[in-house]
Amino acid sequence: MNTQKKKILVVDDDENLRTVLVDKLEISGFDALGAKDGQEGLDKALTNHPDMVILDGMMPRLTGWQVLEKLRQDTWGKDVKVIMLTAVEDFEKMAKAMEGGSCQYLVKTNYSLDEVVKKIQDMFAGKK
Amino acid sequence: MPNNQLIKKHLLNSLVVFISLIGFLGFILFIFYRVSSESSLYLSNSLAFLQFKILAVSVIVVSTLVAYIIYLLCTSETRTRLLVLEATRELAESKGQLQKLYEGAPVPYLTLNSKGEVQDLNKAALRFFGVVAEDMLQKNFFSFFSDEEKEKTAQLVQHYNLRIPINREEVRIVNKVGDVRWVLLSVFDMGSSTKNGRLGLVTVFDIDDQKKLEQTKTEFVSLASHQLRTPLATFKWYIDMLLSGGLGELPEKPKDYISKLYTVNEEMIDLVDTLLNVSRLELGKLTIEKKETNVPEAVESILTELSSQITKKNIVIEKSFGDGLKNLDSDPRLLRIAIHNLLTNAVKYTGEGGRVTVSLAETLSGKTISVSDTGLGIPKSEQGKIFQKLFRASNVKDVSASQSTGLGLYLIKSIVENLGGTLSFVSEEGKGSTFTIKL
Repeated sequence: MNTQKKKILVVDDDENLRTVLVDKLEISGFDALGAKDGQEGLDKALTNHPDMVILDGMMPRLTGWQVLEKLRQDTWGKDVKVIMLTAVEDFEKMAKAMEGGSCQYLVKTNYSLDEVVKKIQDMFAGKK
Repeated sequence: MPNNQLIKKHLLNSLVVFISLIGFLGFILFIFYRVSSESSLYLSNSLAFLQFKILAVSVIVVSTLVAYIIYLLCTSETRTRLLVLEATRELAESKGQLQKLYEGAPVPYLTLNSKGEVQDLNKAALRFFGVVAEDMLQKNFFSFFSDEEKEKTAQLVQHYNLRIPINREEVRIVNKVGDVRWVLLSVFDMGSSTKNGRLGLVTVFDIDDQKKLEQTKTEFVSLASHQLRTPLATFKWYIDMLLSGGLGELPEKPKDYISKLYTVNEEMIDLVDTLLNVSRLELGKLTIEKKETNVPEAVESILTELSSQITKKNIVIEKSFGDGLKNLDSDPRLLRIAIHNLLTNAVKYTGEGGRVTVSLAETLSGKTISVSDTGLGIPKSEQGKIFQKLFRASNVKDVSASQSTGLGLYLIKSIVENLGGTLSFVSEEGKGSTFTIKL
């Protein structure tokens, strides 16, 4: 498993952000794929079983928070690593997201791409 | 009128007692007169005459006093009744005034019995509910609450039954035409009356317009910040990709230009963060979560963030960190925002080659975080205004508005006070400033 590239699903309705993040992850040695809204993200997650799901907060069809809730109800999804990568802090939702499973919460403008990659690597390495 | 009859009776009483007293005094004087004329021989002795006069005066004084007491005793009943009548009249007058106040007040008032049924309501309440009195009388007041307030309603009913005062609770009430309106509800126990048992006075303060405005503002801030932050993040990440995304080294000039874009973008991100934090603060949405806060670590990470500006202006950073602030019980996120703003200000307003000193100290009176600079300083005449929202000192006006918003110190002070601390400063124009957070 270790020799295989980790698979990361990036779910964000903003095409520019999704593209640059997918590119950066590819360059950093991950196998990255994108989804353009919550519903597509949930479908892709449940069929592809990625090692990590990166979710935007506000998205059409299903919000990132709703996707997270549905993932946590799934037998596979309940343990999958998740990063909530949102534009706006929502402290209540953040606290709730942290409750179950492995989940990090980042605000996009506060982190450079390198820092995001560092967080991902730390999560795979089992660091908090 | 019983009042007049009472006064007549009182006067008559007084007259009878007065006439009897005059008669009594006359009788006493008559006795003296007889005694003095019958013993004129004996009274020729001047000493004996003086004794007789003293006796006469004493008898007159004592009998006047006795007469007055008799007068008081005889008229006490009528006088008491007169006083009671006067008090009753005053009571009725003030009750009438209170009733007018209740009736005509612009705030809806309702009176409830012990079961919570409406016994009475004023004109403003009729207008608020869009009803005539009969529509509400004897109906349970709590049945007019919105269905969405079930839990809250149950809680409020319990409070009412246990006679716990309900003070300015926000609830939604439905009026006759089905409009749901937010109100501030207060219910006070008015004690018991013999006729109706326990009474509760309800005031219903309509805050629906205020609520809607607040909601619109929140939505706007949330929307605006989301809409602004997404493109800012896009800029940030694409510049990241160009500068360090593994696309190979860029030529010097393009790299320089892109770095400038990066700096400006970071300033915009800071500005949006500040606006968002100020809005949250004003909407009361800046929740405090206290936990172990490592202040030296936070300062170091902020200084790393500001390193490009610090290097550019050749500013010397001096640090004096105690051990005590490594595990401060505070909100790390909020405290970081406050310190970040203090350090940004210090670097922004300090000239080429200046010095910024950060001191963390633990004293008997509290823990302090101080930031000193050798910068512009604040003119003495303006020192009283610097914590006002949007205030910019006259000597910083040439710093561009995107870099100096007049929100920073306002935000820092509000945050520090929310954390239970104080913010103070000393400053001299042209020499620099020291800002101290005390927690």
